[in-house]
Amino acid sequence: MAATSRTYRSIRGALSAACALAGVGGVATSRATEVETAILGYTEPNRVSALETALQARHDFGSGRLANFKVVYDALTGASASGAVPSAAVQTFTRPSGRGGYTTAPGETPLDNTFRDARVAVSGGTTLPLGRLSTVSAGLYGSGEHDYMSLGANASVSRDFDRRNRTLSAGLSFSRDTVTPEGGRPIPFAAMAPVGADQPRLAGDGSKDVADAMLGLVQVIDRATLVQVTYSLSRVTGYQTDPYKLVSVVDPTSGAPVDQLFEHRPDARTKHILFGRVKRHLPHGVADLSYRFMTDDWGLVSHTVELRDRVALGGGGKYLQPHLRWYRQSAADFYARWLLDGAALPDHATADYRLGEFGAWTFGLEHGRDLGRDHRLTARVEYYRQSGDGHPAGAPGDLASFDLFPVVDAWIFQVGYSFGS
Amino acid sequence: MTVAGQRRGDLFAGLFAAMGGPCEILLEGCDEASALRLVELAAAETRRIEHKLSRYRDDGAVHAINAAGGAPVRVDDETARLLDLAASCHALSGGRFDVTSGILRRAWAFDGGDRLPSRGRVKALLPLVGWEKVAWRHPEITLPAGMEIDLGGLGKEYAADRAAELLAAAAPAAALVNLGGDLRATAPRSDGAAWRVGVEDPGREDHAERILEMKTGGLATSGDARRFLMRDGVRYGHLLNPRTGWPVRGAPRAVTVAAPTCTEAGVLATVAMLHGRDAEAFLAGQGVASWCRR
Repeated sequence: MAATSRTYRSIRGALSAACALAGVGGVATSRATEVETAILGYTEPNRVSALETALQARHDFGSGRLANFKVVYDALTGASASGAVPSAAVQTFTRPSGRGGYTTAPGETPLDNTFRDARVAVSGGTTLPLGRLSTVSAGLYGSGEHDYMSLGANASVSRDFDRRNRTLSAGLSFSRDTVTPEGGRPIPFAAMAPVGADQPRLAGDGSKDVADAMLGLVQVIDRATLVQVTYSLSRVTGYQTDPYKLVSVVDPTSGAPVDQLFEHRPDARTKHILFGRVKRHLPHGVADLSYRFMTDDWGLVSHTVELRDRVALGGGGKYLQPHLRWYRQSAADFYARWLLDGAALPDHATADYRLGEFGAWTFGLEHGRDLGRDHRLTARVEYYRQSGDGHPAGAPGDLASFDLFPVVDAWIFQVGYSFGS
Repeated sequence: MTVAGQRRGDLFAGLFAAMGGPCEILLEGCDEASALRLVELAAAETRRIEHKLSRYRDDGAVHAINAAGGAPVRVDDETARLLDLAASCHALSGGRFDVTSGILRRAWAFDGGDRLPSRGRVKALLPLVGWEKVAWRHPEITLPAGMEIDLGGLGKEYAADRAAELLAAAAPAAALVNLGGDLRATAPRSDGAAWRVGVEDPGREDHAERILEMKTGGLATSGDARRFLMRDGVRYGHLLNPRTGWPVRGAPRAVTVAAPTCTEAGVLATVAMLHGRDAEAFLAGQGVASWCRR
């Protein structure tokens, strides 16, 4: 009684939708393929704006085998602080290409307004079971923009213990980044040449290698509570100077800039990061509290405390999630808002505010809802405010009257849409 | 509520009778007192659904529909959702899955004997069969006088899903519901292992048990080795083609399907049986794990 070779169309998808309508299957019928898309806008008024679009797909082949793929495109425009100090006079700066220049009005923070870039990043990975209790994951990453390229690979293993209430994982990742700056890499501490004059340059591209090692523990405490602790060690070697950033050399009495030097950072950095998180299901939803501590041999120490509290709003998968983030970092040892004319040059110096001492707050709100059974929409808005000491002690002359660490305000908007089948 | 229980290794097994057969609930991580409460919860839900869908209880929803004598009947939300599902199954199966076909049992007695009904007797019943003759406009159903519906083909699997979903919310760890061989697990065992359940193999006439392994989701079987007629060397299984009123020819003795829910598994297993000789070909197109016994 051999079966015929007739082929039948699948009724499974329609049937499972019909069952869901009948009130069965409300409990996670896992999606085989899930696609997430998102558009994110980031804007610092009068400074940088970025628009990012991301597409992520994940497929579950069953039996613990997963694959994922992500592509991100972002476009940046606007101006960013060059590191140079404000001055009582009009200042003229040479563009990185050496062709043309831009001016900064008296008292204004010099912003390099040639900032315009587009970046594409692609990553993919797979997770496979290794025996009954372990999994291995591996992935590749690549990104490119007109002056920067990054290629990386990562691998990790994890294993469940204690009736799957504890998961230990360990991972390694490597990447090589290459920077080919507009006009070439300036010689560190060389003075910025006037428009039309030759800027002394280093030969070749700058590259750095990043190696990370990670050890993680996830422990289920009870049915409602989960604790996660992760330690990461990161070692970066190679060219880490920002080829577009400047440090001003100022007159010790008047505070007026006499030279703009290209910054210089050490070529090795070792970071230690400790991260802890508690996630708890509460009657109203899910609360997620985390703390991250980072310290490195550049003398930078940072603390991040983050709280997300998801509040379920009735049916349809609707929720509202307030987000609060507090961040504080100390300055790198070689951070110098200015250098004094006539004093010996230090080994390294940067005036990049991202390596200075500052604090920041983020306030955000996210809303999500299901659109039908397999479609989901999220929208998020966040406000970020970063502030540091605008009037540091010992500022010579005019500098004492300028805001040397202007507040950075930023707004983030994101809309995400995901669907699965 | 008559439920019994026993500890079985690190599991607690609760037993009760419903849906015309033995039912079993397996629970992880419970002490005896809380396990018995959970078993009672599952048993109460199962019996509630059995009651509602019974053709014989004169206070059940299905009985009210069948007894209306051609008048429209407004149904409760749960019954309405099941009627929607029945309508979808009818459409998706090309008319094979039909909740009005139960009336043909008046002509057929699948008792292992050799008495076939007369062609005239079957033909006389056919005007009373066919979901397309039913006026179903959520939440109101009108059956032509004389017709009947039977949601028994969905009820046991639906009850297994409902009971499992109650346990998923109320039980401290994973649970498995087994309503006479229709199964639904809320999650894999806490050590990640599969559930092992012994179910009577309806494809074998010696009533032997088969050990099934499942991690999560639903598992259902269609077929009954004891319900058939044998005449002139031809075996007539108890699944009837609603268009002819005669048993589906060449159907497997039993089909078992694994799917995310027990209800989906049950519908796929039944529709596969209704495809007769093509059961395997139908299942091959569905992308689910399945077993056919011939």
